[in-house]
Amino acid sequence: MKLTLYIWRQKNAKSKGFMEKHQLDGVSEDMSFLEMLDVLNEQLIHEGKEPVAFDHDCREGICGTCSLTINGTPHGPEAATTCCQLHMRKFKDGDSIYIEPFRAKAFPVIKDLISDRSALDRIIQAGGFISVNTNQAQDANALPVSKEKADLAMDAAACIGCGACIAACPNASSMLFVAAKVSQFALLPQGQPERKRRVLSMVEQMHQEGFGACTNIYECEAVCPKQVSVRFIAQMNREYMGAYMKNEE
Amino acid sequence: MSIVSYLKSTILSKIVMAVTGIILLLFLIGHTLGNLQIFIGREVFNQYAYFLQSTGELLWVFRAVMLLSAILHIVTSVYLKFYNLKAKPQKYAVTNYVKATLSSRTMIWTGIAIACFLAYHLLHFTFGVTNPEHTKYNGYVEKGAGLYVEYNMPVPELIEGKYIEIPDGKILFKQKDVYKMVILGFKNPFISIVYIIGVIIVGFHLNHAIQSAFQTLGLNHPRYSPSIIAGSSTFSFLIALGLISIPVSVLLGIIGGVA
Amino acid sequence: MLDAKIPSGPIQDKWDKHRFELKLVNAANKRKYKVLVVGTGLAGASAAASLAELGYVVEAFTYNDSPRRAHSISAQGGINAAKNYTNDGDSIWRLFYDTLKGGDFRAREANVYRLAQLSNNIIDQCVAQGVPFAREYGGLLANRSFGGAQVSRTFYARGQTGQQLLLGAYSALSRAVGKKQVKMHTRKEMLDLVVIDGKARGIVTRDLVSGKIESHWGDAVILATGGYGNIFFLSTNALACNVTSIYRAYKKGAYFANPCFTQIHPTCIPVSGDHQSKLTLMSESLRNDGRIWVPKNKGDKRPPNEIPEEERDYYLERKYPSYGNLSPRDISSRSAKEVCDDGRGVSSTGYGVYLDFEDAIKRLGQKEIEARYGNLFEMYERIIGEDPYTTPMMIYPASHYTMGGLWVDYNLMSTIPGLHVLGEANFSDHGANRLGASALMQGLADGYFVIPYTIGDYFARNSFDKIDEEHEEFKKVEKAETEKINKMLSIKGKKTPTEFHRELGKVMWENCGMGRNESGLKKALELVPQIREEFWQNLTITGEADDLNIVLEKALRVADFLEFAEIMLWDALERKESCGGHFREEYQYPDGEAKRDDENFAHVAVWEYTGQENKPKRHIESLVFENVELAVRSYK
Repeated sequence: MKLTLYIWRQKNAKSKGFMEKHQLDGVSEDMSFLEMLDVLNEQLIHEGKEPVAFDHDCREGICGTCSLTINGTPHGPEAATTCCQLHMRKFKDGDSIYIEPFRAKAFPVIKDLISDRSALDRIIQAGGFISVNTNQAQDANALPVSKEKADLAMDAAACIGCGACIAACPNASSMLFVAAKVSQFALLPQGQPERKRRVLSMVEQMHQEGFGACTNIYECEAVCPKQVSVRFIAQMNREYMGAYMKNEE
Repeated sequence: MSIVSYLKSTILSKIVMAVTGIILLLFLIGHTLGNLQIFIGREVFNQYAYFLQSTGELLWVFRAVMLLSAILHIVTSVYLKFYNLKAKPQKYAVTNYVKATLSSRTMIWTGIAIACFLAYHLLHFTFGVTNPEHTKYNGYVEKGAGLYVEYNMPVPELIEGKYIEIPDGKILFKQKDVYKMVILGFKNPFISIVYIIGVIIVGFHLNHAIQSAFQTLGLNHPRYSPSIIAGSSTFSFLIALGLISIPVSVLLGIIGGVA
Repeated sequence: MLDAKIPSGPIQDKWDKHRFELKLVNAANKRKYKVLVVGTGLAGASAAASLAELGYVVEAFTYNDSPRRAHSISAQGGINAAKNYTNDGDSIWRLFYDTLKGGDFRAREANVYRLAQLSNNIIDQCVAQGVPFAREYGGLLANRSFGGAQVSRTFYARGQTGQQLLLGAYSALSRAVGKKQVKMHTRKEMLDLVVIDGKARGIVTRDLVSGKIESHWGDAVILATGGYGNIFFLSTNALACNVTSIYRAYKKGAYFANPCFTQIHPTCIPVSGDHQSKLTLMSESLRNDGRIWVPKNKGDKRPPNEIPEEERDYYLERKYPSYGNLSPRDISSRSAKEVCDDGRGVSSTGYGVYLDFEDAIKRLGQKEIEARYGNLFEMYERIIGEDPYTTPMMIYPASHYTMGGLWVDYNLMSTIPGLHVLGEANFSDHGANRLGASALMQGLADGYFVIPYTIGDYFARNSFDKIDEEHEEFKKVEKAETEKINKMLSIKGKKTPTEFHRELGKVMWENCGMGRNESGLKKALELVPQIREEFWQNLTITGEADDLNIVLEKALRVADFLEFAEIMLWDALERKESCGGHFREEYQYPDGEAKRDDENFAHVAVWEYTGQENKPKRHIESLVFENVELAVRSYK
């Protein structure tokens, strides 16, 4: 099939970007979206032009590196799918496709379609962990965890940290990302000792990074490739309220 | 710690939005049910209005709470709006929402429209500024008879809320004729349309607001949340419907034919 | 002479004894040592976090934008441990034996035994970190069975075990970064190792955003940079996975062990066309309930549902009745290749076999199958566009893991003092074939429970001159790398790095993939230098050196693959036996089973770099088996 691509090009973090038009022929429907971009890039290199820089790695939907906004939707039109797993059979001959980076103030564009998502790492560094040194653990079965809670914690832990939730949110709110981690640990007995500290410091960091406020529009959940539920945001609101009120600092 | 330091936390801000929103919503529910008494008749409606007026200090407490809630609701929302605009300085060339509803994405705009509408509503009916001819009428209740009569002659010595014997021996009680005020107001199709549109916007706002408040306050459960969301929509629809029914009924002459 | 430093004594006591014998660094002195950790997957992140907890100064490097993206994240199925929670007769000894046997007796007994011992600590550690492993209704941990074992010892977190374990290690690392105990360098790729006075003292990196070539000094360097499966161009590895760091270390004097031991994973989604950029693996756990078959008749093009039962060949169940569809990876892969080479393959290319869930759905119901494999079925449907609940899946083997790697001793130190190698990047524990759910185990054992002890011994036994990035050796390496990049940019030829990579991959897959033979390997040894020569004459790279340049990044990786390919070929050529993932067609039994030669090849082949133009030198580390009998690996 033949496609018209409009792709965001930006030389580096300081320069201004623009949408660039490309025609691409001979796209097979068995290609993944990123393989389609590979084909374009090979073509561009042969023409002596700089290929389109985009983030990608595992190409099986789990590393969370790929980060394209396709036709206005992070990761594109297929639900519960990262753009590396999106296949061209979801498009048809003659389609125009708009490809942009994940956008947010906290995700500055580095080049073309690559944005800097290190803010998410800093949120985790602020408290997204259970403080247990190596070899401090007790036997794995010492603390039973009900299957329901373990499953729910796993639902939250499924987050791949791609940042699509933030890219999709008109407010660039990172609540779903933060809530997933806060909830995972709040649901498990191992997470209890730091439960209050964790939510307070992660939310504080989230504010410092310049992410917006949640307005409960749930676009985050809709684009999440791992379908992390907004119920975790509600849970985090509860956790935060409780922790805030009891906080003595 | 200053009173607005909660603004430093978006979650606390949202909680303030939810709590003040709920207070305003409770008022709106009462207001709607009260107003619907207009369908029962003039006496009941005016009596209800009089009852509200006669609560004395409580009324001021109530007004203060409403005013504070409205101010907090507005200030917080405007602050968050600017905060959010800053968080997403560059928009996409193409935007394609998957799940976000129109009402959820336009809260600030419907909110501003509601604030304007509310201002007009207060100026119109409460303070009698925009159309003083709608609010100047008084009614008189005759003691014992319970009948509502209209005196065309001026009775200057009558004071609101007090029984007074007039020269022909009747004991009358003076009330504002709120009923007539409403009828006169809504007989004007332009004013009615403003109210109808205003109320539709309120409904639109509530459609997202109610379920959003549940979420903000941490109430989300897979078994109940679908009902909360559906209930939120139904409830907003009913409120809007109830409020719209009044101007529509007036325009159609179903009520207030006498005025 | 290679000294593996294996402690003496009974195998059960070796590790305990060794830990006692290791020298310690005083708690207050630990902050005087700086460790560079390259790679932040399971092994790297766990090592960086654990060393930081001990008090060492740690700097960690990843070419990804975040440590959480490392390819460990893609492991689906699970992690083995000898907990025996299922009461089915498992023990440390059994896990040790299964792993050694699964590796076709080409691994060190002592290392494997230690791995089995540590497996239990790993599960404890991960649970404490909040890894949401699958649980039973009673609240205790659940287990599943996995290829190559007859006990249920695999712990799992849905089909995302690697992700959850990596996020556990990442959270420990993040905690240390937040406490400023670890300095994290993201989007920085190691270009070369810096050896000063015979010790590994630093690395040179390229900042992938600014293009800046930078030096970093340390008192020890840990490479945890994964495997080299991408040498085949198509593999299940993430696209950026590469051999550069371990190959450069090899060129600086670290010996490379068993490079020809590569694992082909049997359950991948078949290739669909030339555009293919990678192959997607589906968890081997699918083989627990799926039945593998091809049509009995050559060229049977009927849709699978129209092929009657009697015309299907369930070849694994037929050939290996006791393990059946759960036969080890190499056997399962090779059998698939055999039937496809026989013209009975399915899929549009003829390189595919069916993995059929019809019986399992009948037996367990669709709901149960959905609960077990739902996410895998969805993934398959997204890629292929067919519904595996109604049409059998198609699978084909693909390069997945490399057992070979830098040679390390029992302390995980390479032949360069101070250069430690962890996880897939080393060669140590899997022999000629890795069992399913063992990679995660090894990466974490190395990082959490081995290196924190052994690195202290290295520090305690050595003295270190004060150096910094201004040292002439750093400047020399920086200059060489800059010149190399400038040279690449100046070629201005016609072929892209990807095209060279694809070409190399094809040669390697055809001649050094699932089946290898002398003539093919010799042919490849002629072809690879030709491709390399053309690479340096006809490469095209757009853009500049001092910028984010994806073409240059790729070219630098391909350049090293093009050199590394040769040791892999030499190793395959000189290992004149079939074992595990290394199948030499000349060495097989009449029924097609691999013919191992314990008399001549019960050793680790260890390669030493001897200069660009010379054939590398082959050393031998003999494998001594005191505790197990070298049985013919039989899964019949």
